[in-house]
Amino acid sequence: MLVAVVSIATIWFAVGGRLDYYVHPRYLVFTVIMAGIALVLCAARAVMILRRPAVAADHDDEDDDPPPATRRQAVLSGLALVIAAAVAVGMIVFPPATLSSATALQRDITGGGTPAGGSSLSSAQSASNQAFAKFTVLDWSSLLAQTSDVSFYAGKPVAVDGFITPSPTDSANTFYLTRFVITCCAVDAQPVAVPVYLPDWRGTYKSDEWLEIAGGFEANQSTTSAAPIALVPSGVKKVSAPNDPYLY
Amino acid sequence: MASRAPVSGIPRRPSIALVAAIVIALGLVAARVVSSAVVPAGVLPDRLQDGLTLGMSVLIESLPFVVLGIVISIAVRVWLPDGVFVRVLPRSPWLRRIVISFVGMLLPVCECGNVPLARGLMVRGLTVAESMTFLFAAPILNPITVITTAQAFGWSGGILVARIAGGFFIANLLGWLFSRHPDPESLLTPRFAAECRLPAHEEHGTRWARSVQLFSTEAANLLPALFVGSVAAAAVQTLVPRSILVALGTDPIWSVVAMIGLSFIISVCSTVDAFFILPFATTFLPGSITAFLVFGAMIDIRMIALLRTTFSTRTIVQLFAVILLATAALSWLVNLVS
Repeated sequence: MLVAVVSIATIWFAVGGRLDYYVHPRYLVFTVIMAGIALVLCAARAVMILRRPAVAADHDDEDDDPPPATRRQAVLSGLALVIAAAVAVGMIVFPPATLSSATALQRDITGGGTPAGGSSLSSAQSASNQAFAKFTVLDWSSLLAQTSDVSFYAGKPVAVDGFITPSPTDSANTFYLTRFVITCCAVDAQPVAVPVYLPDWRGTYKSDEWLEIAGGFEANQSTTSAAPIALVPSGVKKVSAPNDPYLY
Repeated sequence: MASRAPVSGIPRRPSIALVAAIVIALGLVAARVVSSAVVPAGVLPDRLQDGLTLGMSVLIESLPFVVLGIVISIAVRVWLPDGVFVRVLPRSPWLRRIVISFVGMLLPVCECGNVPLARGLMVRGLTVAESMTFLFAAPILNPITVITTAQAFGWSGGILVARIAGGFFIANLLGWLFSRHPDPESLLTPRFAAECRLPAHEEHGTRWARSVQLFSTEAANLLPALFVGSVAAAAVQTLVPRSILVALGTDPIWSVVAMIGLSFIISVCSTVDAFFILPFATTFLPGSITAFLVFGAMIDIRMIALLRTTFSTRTIVQLFAVILLATAALSWLVNLVS
């Protein structure tokens, strides 16, 4: 039953284009194929039970029956089933969602290294403006981790999208425009972010809101923020979350 | 359906269980249809919603591997001729375990898929100790893990070599230790020990029917454990701030402990964990990265829940202790020499 619920949910998410909220796109085909195999086997089992006389089926069970469970085992099994049922219902009832700024903060948005895949200093040094237009939060955050020399960023146009995570050190004037990078599935999601200096941003925007920001990196004018360099926006646009909210 | 297997040990009439399962399934579909109209996005508090997303992510990511593991296990239990697997292995216990360590090279399933396969191998005549050797070597000694670790780290810091050699050594150490147990059957849960005692030829029905039935029993055994493991992993991840672990990064002793803790919590598959941990390589010492890659591949929250379907609590505590101590020793050694 549980395997059928997860398989149905998997296929359901895949059809609705929401499976990549949970796993890396390279696993989508494998995940759907295995869910399909599981469903076929579940259906075969259901057909077998329906077609077989109840007595014979019961006899089978007696053959395979292990020793009776102790009270403690029964309680543990019961508890496991309750937890499983609660998650199964949660999967079905609540709409699929990506991770929020709470997890970004919990996973140490301002430190802990930048995931592989960002840009290197040498390649960014000679990149064209067209190339910068394609840079994501991952590319810029990886550059910020490599150098905090303001002159490096002078004249380099920035256009990125992500969601708002309030800065832990200056939540009034600075926020982090954040994306999650995943290697396998949402459980290993690591936040990458660029600090944005926008005084009194809470007047117009709120946490977890998705924005598209254009501008350039300058020395951070915030007095309390830990980030030495921040993105100073020349244009900010509210956007809806992209279909595929993660970077890889 | 999987639900008809007597999880709590109380046999039920299958037809009633099936009807109940179909009713529940229809109920869930109805709940989804109604909730999509009624329940708006973002109704749950952030942390709870993130916990649910993380739990579902572990579950959805693990399920295909568990299903694949069960399918390969069915192939070994039902379709492989009697005794073939046991016959082709060398007779000397040491050599047998060494060969078994490399079975993962042919069947590259990650650690959660190896649990059903190890169960299948035990039912087909491998000893408990030999199955343990397979179970703990295969997640590391498999082509996908070796390739991804090599891609992520190359030869730097001896991480690749330490991972492969360490995984091989610890798995064989476990195999040797548990092979000396006077009553190996007592290492298993009574339920699984009884299943192993059933001679294969007493099973009836066509091979296809037995395969389908075995799938349903194994799924019923493993899925509740997988759910519990996913929920526990998600809960710990939502509650423990990552910065606590990262703060310990540069200490040669404590960083190993921190990385073992992180790998235990994160429950990420051994086939991709190298990419996950790569960004930490600048903060953490090579031995600590090795600790993450060796310990996490063998045991983590999700694995403990899955192992509980097969091994007694006492055995799991012993396995945990040996893997913990051996990984820590290996990692401190790497920190010393690198």
